[in-house]
Amino acid sequence: MARSLRSSFLWRNRVLLTGGALLLLAINIFFTGNRPGARAEKPSHALLWALRPLQNSTAELAGDSKGFFHDYLDLVNVRQENDQLKRQIAELQSEHIQMIELRVENRHLKNLLELREALGMSAIAARVIGVDPSEISHTLILSQGAAGGLKRNDAVISTDGVVGKLIAVGPDSSRVMLIDDHNSGLDAFDQRSRARGIVAGEIDAGIRMKYVDRTEDVRPGDAIVTAGMDGNFPGGLLIGTVAAVSQEGPGLFLKVTVRPAVDFSALEQVLILTQKPAPAAGQG
Amino acid sequence: MRLIALFSLATIAALALETTLPRWLPLGPLMPDLALVLAVDLGLRHQRTTGALMAFGIGYAADSFSGVHLGLDAFVMTLAFMIAYALSRYLISSSAAIGVLVVLICETLIGLARYAAGAGWNSAGGFAALAPAIAWRALASALAAPAVFALMGSAARLIGLRQQGVRE
Repeated sequence: MARSLRSSFLWRNRVLLTGGALLLLAINIFFTGNRPGARAEKPSHALLWALRPLQNSTAELAGDSKGFFHDYLDLVNVRQENDQLKRQIAELQSEHIQMIELRVENRHLKNLLELREALGMSAIAARVIGVDPSEISHTLILSQGAAGGLKRNDAVISTDGVVGKLIAVGPDSSRVMLIDDHNSGLDAFDQRSRARGIVAGEIDAGIRMKYVDRTEDVRPGDAIVTAGMDGNFPGGLLIGTVAAVSQEGPGLFLKVTVRPAVDFSALEQVLILTQKPAPAAGQG
Repeated sequence: MRLIALFSLATIAALALETTLPRWLPLGPLMPDLALVLAVDLGLRHQRTTGALMAFGIGYAADSFSGVHLGLDAFVMTLAFMIAYALSRYLISSSAAIGVLVVLICETLIGLARYAAGAGWNSAGGFAALAPAIAWRALASALAAPAVFALMGSAARLIGLRQQGVRE
């Protein structure tokens, strides 16, 4: 009986058959797992939670040593001059950088606090503790999650402007999709001319304002702000400035390239709006 | 059980490195895809149903920290496992060279899949801009693969895990 089972087609190809079944499962998750509250999301949240302490401590370590690492590279060039002096300088600079780090973090938090008060909405601050290793997707991992009252689609901003919105919320950490991700889209308008459009990330980096009518008056340097119609972001938050406008091609719309107000690669602290804004009334 | 424990720990370490190391060093596309290398290692040297399940698990874990489409990495990691499994059986070898080749192919596939899932195939200009990044990441992952294979091989021996692959 056992021998016939072992010689059967199913047994001999069990690895390939299991692999095939898992491929089908992955396809199923791909099409159903991104819906809010999908069951397939739950283990993902648990993983976010599991890795959070490691990312948190590494982020702290990175904050302390990032400046030191760059300074060390600079000092390598003058090693021949005086090794003893270099060590002293490195030690002093390490201490100095730690002090600067504390001061910068303090300033960031103070600015975030002022921003929260200015917005008049409930919000919580979070640290960036991880990045997306993929070059194609642009997401960040934050140090706050459902325990802090966060929900999927909550707006994430910084003192410089709009960062993105939450796409996954674990118990103690969450992931934000940046506005320069090619899956992102946000209704916005030109603050000067009130021309409306959708700000979306582009696959070849950068962000564009799409569906702006050719007849609209949009100029380089114009501030692009949120329209507040999506129910997540309040109106009037800075997204970026217009870098270039072109009317090439036979299309109905302008090609508007936007320079983001936020430097995503240097982002350390963000503010997550936990309160939904009141519906915007007739901007534009 | 030992296989699950070893590869679960390795996956956690790989993902922790992949998500935090770029904050220290701006490696950009030169950051190797360590999770994929683990999935390929499973396909080459742990050819059993648990290996396939682990490859899926690694992909699902990678999905939790990267990209916006849940299931994409799970699909590609399982596919990488199956390609490594099939190729090593067909060539009757589970050498690191085959692993390097599979990593190179699968990392390129991941890049293309992410691009297709996000932008569709119509945005040719966008693909031209991304192609070098995809190629660099595939190359970096392939170069890192032999070291990861060796490390996992040593760890497997250390805990007495029998490797179940084709005969050399």
